[in-house]
Amino acid sequence: MSYFLQLVASGIVVGSIYALSGLGFVLIYKSSRVLNIAHGQIIAAGAFITYALTVWGGIPIYISFLMSLIITFFLAMSVERVFLRRLIGEPIISVIMVTIGLMSILDGLIYMTPFGAENFSFPEFLPKTPISLGGVSISWTQLVGVIITVILIVGFTWFFKRSTLGISMRAVSDDQMASMSIGISIPKVFGLAWATAGFSAAAAGGIIGNITGLNFDTLRAFGIIVFPVVILGGLDSVFGAVVAGIIMGLIQQFAAGYLDGNWGLSGTADLLPYIILLIILLFKPHGLFGIHEIERV
Amino acid sequence: MAQNRWLATGNFFTTYREEQRIFLTHLDRLLFVGLLVGLFVWPLFLEVGNKYMLVIDNILIAMVAILGLNLLTGFAGLISIGHAAFVGVGAYTVASFSRMLGDTHVLLTHAWPLMILLAGGVGAVVGAFVGLPALRLKHLYLAIATLSFQMIFQWTINFMEFFNQGQTISIGRVSWFSGRVARQEHYLFWYYVCLVIVVISGLAVRNLLRTRYGRCLVAVRDNDRAADAMGMHPGFTKVYAFALSGFFAGVAGALHAYLFRGAGFESFTLHQSISYLAMAIVGGLGTLVGSFFGPTAMIMLDLQVENLSEFFKAQFSAALDLATALRPLTFGLVIVLFLMFEPRGIANWWRIVRSYIKLWPFRY
Repeated sequence: MSYFLQLVASGIVVGSIYALSGLGFVLIYKSSRVLNIAHGQIIAAGAFITYALTVWGGIPIYISFLMSLIITFFLAMSVERVFLRRLIGEPIISVIMVTIGLMSILDGLIYMTPFGAENFSFPEFLPKTPISLGGVSISWTQLVGVIITVILIVGFTWFFKRSTLGISMRAVSDDQMASMSIGISIPKVFGLAWATAGFSAAAAGGIIGNITGLNFDTLRAFGIIVFPVVILGGLDSVFGAVVAGIIMGLIQQFAAGYLDGNWGLSGTADLLPYIILLIILLFKPHGLFGIHEIERV
Repeated sequence: MAQNRWLATGNFFTTYREEQRIFLTHLDRLLFVGLLVGLFVWPLFLEVGNKYMLVIDNILIAMVAILGLNLLTGFAGLISIGHAAFVGVGAYTVASFSRMLGDTHVLLTHAWPLMILLAGGVGAVVGAFVGLPALRLKHLYLAIATLSFQMIFQWTINFMEFFNQGQTISIGRVSWFSGRVARQEHYLFWYYVCLVIVVISGLAVRNLLRTRYGRCLVAVRDNDRAADAMGMHPGFTKVYAFALSGFFAGVAGALHAYLFRGAGFESFTLHQSISYLAMAIVGGLGTLVGSFFGPTAMIMLDLQVENLSEFFKAQFSAALDLATALRPLTFGLVIVLFLMFEPRGIANWWRIVRSYIKLWPFRY
């Protein structure tokens, strides 16, 4: 039983990170219908900026975390301005390929820094002894990570429900023509969507970096695993991304805990999300909470 | 009016049959034959090092793969982020024979044309199977489905003992009428094989595109509901586009396995799939010549980047490793710049040149 609870706990930790990564992805898709394949690179960039500010800049980690959020906010906004603004209205393959190109460019830029070749880890700033609750042990970094994730998700929910900017972003995702006619600037909303996505990606990056250490390949992989998550939740649902993130985290932990080692299987945690992705696509392509938009041919 | 069959200018088509001729003028035909003869003859006069011969072979193999991808993504409009996995299916078809029968079995070394065809067939079957979601999914969702196929393929290769868990599975040297192909002649031999296959498949695609089935692909890309209303079967067409693309990818994969004398996991990763897409886009989606320009341009670019970083390494310090950083950087920049400034790819430059020549000797 305690093994089960342990898996649940670590599943929720992993899942909340997926939720945070998926959130940024959904934000971009929801407002501008762009599939951002470079999301993993933005996550990595956020983590590396936090590390650089903390260790090389000597700034306390809480402040550098906040600073990295703001830097990535503007970074993502300028990415949208430079690369994607021109492509509004272009065919879908062009838009996908531009984010793929962006992914390569960011890869190249990161390989130029020391982070591309070596692994780093954040200095310990929380107590090392894990907390145990009824046989389940969670490290402090994981706990703080989950707490920050929850705070951010609540913040984003508030932002979309209540603030004027958030409401205008929802309006654009609903109907571009109508929102233009009531005076919402669409390019500004697109920029803002990328910026908030960058913000949440940097937060995810900082948290992952603290839990797993800074390895470019690990961080980058979050940009791919985010696909099953957002498809499961529905590509255009923020709430869906959160729920699906946690479901996916649990599934992966259970697969690693129960399937691996039995029946000669291994590495099922890497496979299952994609099988689920295919099944979801075949039977319920709009995901758990997405809007029905699929037309049959 | 007697037609001038040498210059295109001033000629008008009066039947559909005329319009669909592959070669509009004798000049076209002459140039094409000249190009072919040149391609076949130049290795006899020019000695090329193994390194560059390998690059040229790689370009030809990529051309076969891109012909398939272009049919799927360019003509049928179905985005595939899993093309390297289809190529991998072809390569691993050959590799699994080597695994079962030993790497110098007569089937592998003597009946290799059969193996290449078989790899294409397996690729087509897998392609059709993976294409089944296309019956229900469109655009983005389909792209993500192919992505998941890529990931499942990678896992299967890495996990299964039969596929040596992603380690290279070796394949023996092939034999020709004159006996076993020697080590020095290996790359030259495969140059000719790949060239023949590129020419055959290029002509096949060109012919396909002027038949009913080829035009079906384009109709379904442009508007599948209209195509449905006109009596085509969009669902069938999409699955069949996947099968065709899988066939070419399978052939390319088998060639790849034979050329490198083995199949390893790292040639069929997601990154490779993305490079294939980039080649198709840089060449020009939805054009036949684009399938030849794209791989040439991208692989040459990659070679130059490597040379440049070698140069820097020699000039400054051996520790300087620019290649890992420069490669993705230039790759990404090329894609982005092409999409921004020449979304129709290199094929568009070709079109401009051709339309100029077509009117010659008049300006317009």
